[in-house]
Amino acid sequence: MDVLDLIDAVQSVADGVLFGATYALLGIGFTLVFGVMHKINLSYAAASIGAAYASLLIVAGIKAPAILVFLASAAAGGVIGGLVYLVGFKFIPLANPLATLMSTVGLLLLIDEIIVHTTAGVPLNYPALFSDVIVSAGPFNLRGDLMFVFALSCACMVVLLLLLYRTRLGLATRAVSQQPTASQLCGISITRVNVVTFVITGVVGGIAGAMTGAAIGMLSPLLSLPLTVKGLIVTVIGGLGSIPGAIIAGLVVGGLENAFQFFRGVSERDLYIMLLLFAFLIFRPGGMFAMPVGRD
Amino acid sequence: MDFYLGLMQIIGVHTLLGLSAYCVLLTGQVSLAQAGFFAIGAYVAGMLTVLAQWPLVPALGASAVVAGVMACAVGFPALRVKGLMLVVATIAFGEAVRLFFFNFTYQVQAGNLKLGPHGAEGFRQIRYFPEHGWTTLDVMLFIWAVVALVMAGVWWLDRSRAGAVLRAVGEDELAAQSAGINITAVKVSAMTIGGVIAGIGGGIFAHYTTHIEHLQFGVVLATFAIAYPILGGLSNVFGTLLAVVFVQGFLIEGLRFMGDWRNLLFGGLIVLAMNVRPRGLLDAGAVLALKRLIVPRKDGNGA
Amino acid sequence: MATVLDLQGLTKHFGGVRAVDGIDLAVARGEIVGLIGPNGSGKSTIVNLICGLLPPTAGRVVFNGADISRLPPHARVTLGIARTFQNIRLFGQLTVWQNLWVAQNSGEQRNQNFLRRWFGGSNGAWEEINRTLEFFDLAHKRDELAANLAFGEQRRLEFARALAAKPVLLLLDEPAAGMNAEEVDQLDSRIRKLRQDGITVVLIEHHVELVMSVADRVAVLNFGQKIAEGTPAFVQADPAVREAYLGSAAVA
Repeated sequence: MDVLDLIDAVQSVADGVLFGATYALLGIGFTLVFGVMHKINLSYAAASIGAAYASLLIVAGIKAPAILVFLASAAAGGVIGGLVYLVGFKFIPLANPLATLMSTVGLLLLIDEIIVHTTAGVPLNYPALFSDVIVSAGPFNLRGDLMFVFALSCACMVVLLLLLYRTRLGLATRAVSQQPTASQLCGISITRVNVVTFVITGVVGGIAGAMTGAAIGMLSPLLSLPLTVKGLIVTVIGGLGSIPGAIIAGLVVGGLENAFQFFRGVSERDLYIMLLLFAFLIFRPGGMFAMPVGRD
Repeated sequence: MDFYLGLMQIIGVHTLLGLSAYCVLLTGQVSLAQAGFFAIGAYVAGMLTVLAQWPLVPALGASAVVAGVMACAVGFPALRVKGLMLVVATIAFGEAVRLFFFNFTYQVQAGNLKLGPHGAEGFRQIRYFPEHGWTTLDVMLFIWAVVALVMAGVWWLDRSRAGAVLRAVGEDELAAQSAGINITAVKVSAMTIGGVIAGIGGGIFAHYTTHIEHLQFGVVLATFAIAYPILGGLSNVFGTLLAVVFVQGFLIEGLRFMGDWRNLLFGGLIVLAMNVRPRGLLDAGAVLALKRLIVPRKDGNGA
Repeated sequence: MATVLDLQGLTKHFGGVRAVDGIDLAVARGEIVGLIGPNGSGKSTIVNLICGLLPPTAGRVVFNGADISRLPPHARVTLGIARTFQNIRLFGQLTVWQNLWVAQNSGEQRNQNFLRRWFGGSNGAWEEINRTLEFFDLAHKRDELAANLAFGEQRRLEFARALAAKPVLLLLDEPAAGMNAEEVDQLDSRIRKLRQDGITVVLIEHHVELVMSVADRVAVLNFGQKIAEGTPAFVQADPAVREAYLGSAAVA
């Protein structure tokens, strides 16, 4: 392999890492809900794409600048997140994890179908920022739109971490994730924390959906299942319940995905991602940053 | 008439899929790998009858064995993965199997036709049934004979000590270990049994549908597999059958009345069902109530 | 007298916490040994170490002369060790009868014909279960789901399930918790009946009267270490024990 190939490979990986920021956001959403409620919300990626679609609806009326569309997606994500909690989690007794799993599957199917119905299954164009900007760094070309995606995603992560670690709300959320019963005895409303968790992860998801659309250039209902699988893989590799883990795993998976594609082609790419997951499950089942396990 | 026979065929095969998930779910393992074993069974059986001219039943037997061995191999690492992580691991396994078949080509020249699996295009011309003069009715009866056999087997398992042990492991692994149950053996066995049943189902599926391809065996089929026992209730095999009838009947018959909206309503219906009856349609309480209706109380004093 | 259970330097650390710190304890066949100590002294951890749910950080668990420290829990049950749980861990969705049925895992029961044991219908197992149910006054609740039993019945079922594997050594983890005086009396006589049947018992308890009444020997733990051992009367008078329970002011 000569120097040009090497440069291409690194370029590919770099692009992948930038795109991986969206995987990181999805991973954060999955992992946060798991950390607080000990349940997996399988409809999360679909809801994120749904939020991006919803933001397009808002654009349809007015010729809005891209940044407004992204914000609309975040807002829509928050609303959808709250609805998902209400319909898929609130009324199902905690002792029935299978029932909540199934209800999130139902929501996944429902959201997918709503998207297909309202768009007749046709992929829609999604706005991007800086798509005509290319930044040259030596032999490498960094796409402006990807860099924006990366930057906005990182900003979102920073805000989320600030929220979790510097606010009372974040403190309450972390308390509930560690000891729900004791938290209640301290006066924390579990329902409120759960709703807020879902709304916040919904906002994160809305941004993830928007950024995915911006990076690819369009939205399609076919995105939800692969994104669900990728998001879950990122969550597990990063360690269920760990936000730093999800972030790092997202970037790693994004980069590796492109590397696999570069060396082995598109059709085998996903197979290697699976193998990566299996390797982790065999050698490090807790993921990169496993949640500490109690004595019981 | 053919339409209803076709519907019965689908219900039969999906019941096998559901039963395969049922056995694994009893031990508390939420496995989205059943579609993967189903796919393996489909391709193995198809290749044996088409490429190696095997008769159907031995081919199904072989697909059961291969799928079972794969399931056993999956069962061991699955032990290391707790709870909801197993969901992700099994999704990934199922996807890996699907991707394998997406890339898998093995063709044999037969006259002026090329037969065998052909990557993304799938495996066409699995024409065992037409070539041997089976009518749609014959196929349906065969499928239901197999389903009845498997259901009887699982029912018997459920009533035996093995069934109680499976459920004990599903309830509380720590207590089960402390009571002397070898949870490793139990969980791997359950996974293997599930794999065998899924393999048989897949093998039959390949033959009545005559054309299989990777897209049919994705995450959606895997979620259907566990949806049946969860929606139907885990206390009873008949719950799974009921759920299959309901779901497939709704999805296919519903096309008439609701057109394209049936998929929309399907998702919504699942959400509603889980909110209203989290333990499933035929949970322990429902079974008890049904028993009381059917079997008169032996003691004369009533309650 | 044969030594059934021998804990040699048994140690368990959880990170920085020394839950069990170098415990030596020998239990002879047919003895009833009480294990008492304030909360957090390591009693339940010792039980988990003996039955294999936790691996020791150091030290050995020797059962009937064989080092079982590396054996998985279910293998120890086959050898003859059984336990109850402090917070009852019944199989709630199984019936009373099924709870006992799945626990028949003694060496002798394991050696039965495979098909008969796992898939068979009526066999010797049924008589054993019925007898156990009678002994614990649960026969009338045979087909009731364990989750639907009253608390006292659940405690008895927990006890019964431990006996279903025909153990040689029985570890009872606070069996008297939440019992009234009459129930404690019944528990007392059931434990004595166990000794008559040749079962060795290690009893972890807070209920001082029960331990003093039924135990041959008592070992007292505090902060993971054994601070006293002897007959109930001896231990009751020991100043170190008093200090552990009541504080140093009480001893002065």
